Amino acid sequence: MRDKIKNLIKLYWKRILIIGAFVILTIISLAIGALDVVNFKDLFAGNELSWKILWTSRVPRTLAIILSASGLSVAGLIMQSISRNKFMSPSTSGTTDAAALGVIIAFIALGDQPGIIQTIFAFLFALISTMAFMSVIKRLKIREIVYIPLIGIMYGGLIAAFTQILAYRFEALQMMQAIGLGGFAKIGSFATVYIIVVPLILSVIYSSRFSIIGMGEDFSKNLGLRYNRVVFVGLLLIALVSASSFVAVGQLPFIGLIIPNMTASFYGDNLKRSIIDVMFFGADFVLICDILSRVIIAPFEISVSLTISIIGGIIFVIYMIGGIRHGKQSQRAAQRK
Amino acid sequence: MIEIKNITQAYGRNKVLDDVSFAIHDSAVTALIGANGAGKSTLLGVITRLIPYISGEVYIDEHEIKSMKTKEVAKKVAILKQTHHLGVRVAVQDLVEFGRFPHCGGRLMDIDRQKVEESISFMDLDNIRDRYIDELSGGQRQRAFIAMILAQDTPYIFLDEPLNNLDIRYSVEMMKIVRSLVQDLHKTVIVVLHDINFAAAYADYVVTMQDGKIVSHGKVDEIITKNKLDGIFDYDFNIIEHQGRKVCLYFDSNEKDSLA
Ligand SMILES: Nc1ncnc2c1ncn2[C@@H]1O[C@H](COP(=O)(O)OP(=O)(O)O)[C@@H](O)[C@H]1O
Ligand SMILES: [Mg+2]
Repeated sequence: MRDKIKNLIKLYWKRILIIGAFVILTIISLAIGALDVVNFKDLFAGNELSWKILWTSRVPRTLAIILSASGLSVAGLIMQSISRNKFMSPSTSGTTDAAALGVIIAFIALGDQPGIIQTIFAFLFALISTMAFMSVIKRLKIREIVYIPLIGIMYGGLIAAFTQILAYRFEALQMMQAIGLGGFAKIGSFATVYIIVVPLILSVIYSSRFSIIGMGEDFSKNLGLRYNRVVFVGLLLIALVSASSFVAVGQLPFIGLIIPNMTASFYGDNLKRSIIDVMFFGADFVLICDILSRVIIAPFEISVSLTISIIGGIIFVIYMIGGIRHGKQSQRAAQRK
Repeated sequence: MIEIKNITQAYGRNKVLDDVSFAIHDSAVTALIGANGAGKSTLLGVITRLIPYISGEVYIDEHEIKSMKTKEVAKKVAILKQTHHLGVRVAVQDLVEFGRFPHCGGRLMDIDRQKVEESISFMDLDNIRDRYIDELSGGQRQRAFIAMILAQDTPYIFLDEPLNNLDIRYSVEMMKIVRSLVQDLHKTVIVVLHDINFAAAYADYVVTMQDGKIVSHGKVDEIITKNKLDGIFDYDFNIIEHQGRKVCLYFDSNEKDSLA
């Protein structure tokens, strides 16, 4: 029995660590907040107000963090697998910006709409834009893949600028402001975030297929996989996650790029092995950022988007430099030959 | 048995396969040789349904492949192409498990695990099963891919230039593996080779291609002749016999003198 447990720990210590951290961070995230009515003493005593705040404000908020972080991490993972390119992610290929454009267009065309309608528009725009971006990138045959996120960020910037013009022209700037700033404080608008559960489950079911797709088209076809169909399913999942997380909480930059890359250095590229850990690790990362955002200048809070941008941005730059070095090395190696 | 009937394939105006017909001998090694661009890879792609073709028929055990389900084709034919899987961090064991996909759809049952184990031990990969494939030597990686194809458990195996990037020792080892696939596991193997000497030494049958057409097809001894090879490769071969085996000398025998 003891040996068995030891064996399990040896096999799964990384996962145990990641999930352990997840549980602790979730509790901390639930515990901190502007009102200190929510504490263990009151909760145990059955204080109705405490429970009410917990359920109506704290729990949805924390769930929104967890779901959008996990969803975006998995979306990045799938995107990298489909494109066979480690530097792809929804926030560095215009997907999120296209989702924003969709929301603004929904607003202009139909006026103020519930989250679900916004999500549908965001989803359609994200899907089309991602398909276009990925097929262009594939055709360009860029030798240095490090530049792809930079091209993607520029492309996203173009979409964002266009969105801005539209918003200005049709007097939707306020709307823009409201949705653009990522924050988990918008209590009550989290309904759409629960949609992410669907792509999360589907991505686990499809994880073997996505891994095989990552080995290349001929490789997949040899194994009887319908390549185009699996790629399309992947794109659907990416667009769905990006759209619903954007409508619920706004932008969470870099998550889809750095989380899968960080996880891959421990688990390799077999999605079937790593996908659960990617989900939890992504949640851990964003929970930490969120907790920091709320304690650093308490009782005020920084936008979580900002915290993620700073921490995620630093990690992103480290990966980029690594990628550029790596590229130069292989160039030099090629020249020697 | 695999039978190919009147296959034609073209990219735009460029006819890459022109009315190709032949039957592949079961439980034997068939080497496919021909100059670059002759259409060898395209032919393998067509037979394994990687590439759609314009007209003609391919029969696998009497079933036309266009009428077969994708998964069924994947249980009959396996193809290993020369692609670079640089930077793909997948463990050897995971790669071999991918081979079971047509049978189990990604959820391995006992029979699948057993096949994976058999393939790993047949290819002697037990001690490197946890290593990532991009950390292996060329020879080891090639063995890992063959193990995957063995796990796929197909009677027909197609190898497109498996000796690329392998040094001589590994090339010989690879060809020995190919032979053992036929001898020990009774597979039917079709292998594209650049080095005619490997074809001469290890194949049972040879098919030669030129400009999208099959030029000749027959037993090794009938095909590896100066007469036939000169035309296909547009080169003046020098074929000698050594210990009962034919050996092609590629270099020009006058070269040294003219340089001196
Ligand atoms: N996807 C493609 N598009 C256009 N032409 C192609 C394509 N694939 C192969 N070809 C052409 O078909 C011919 C045969 O190619 P291939 O089958 O790869 O030859 P081999 O494997 O014998 O070297 C070549 O002339 C090549 O340029
Ligand atoms: Mg070829």
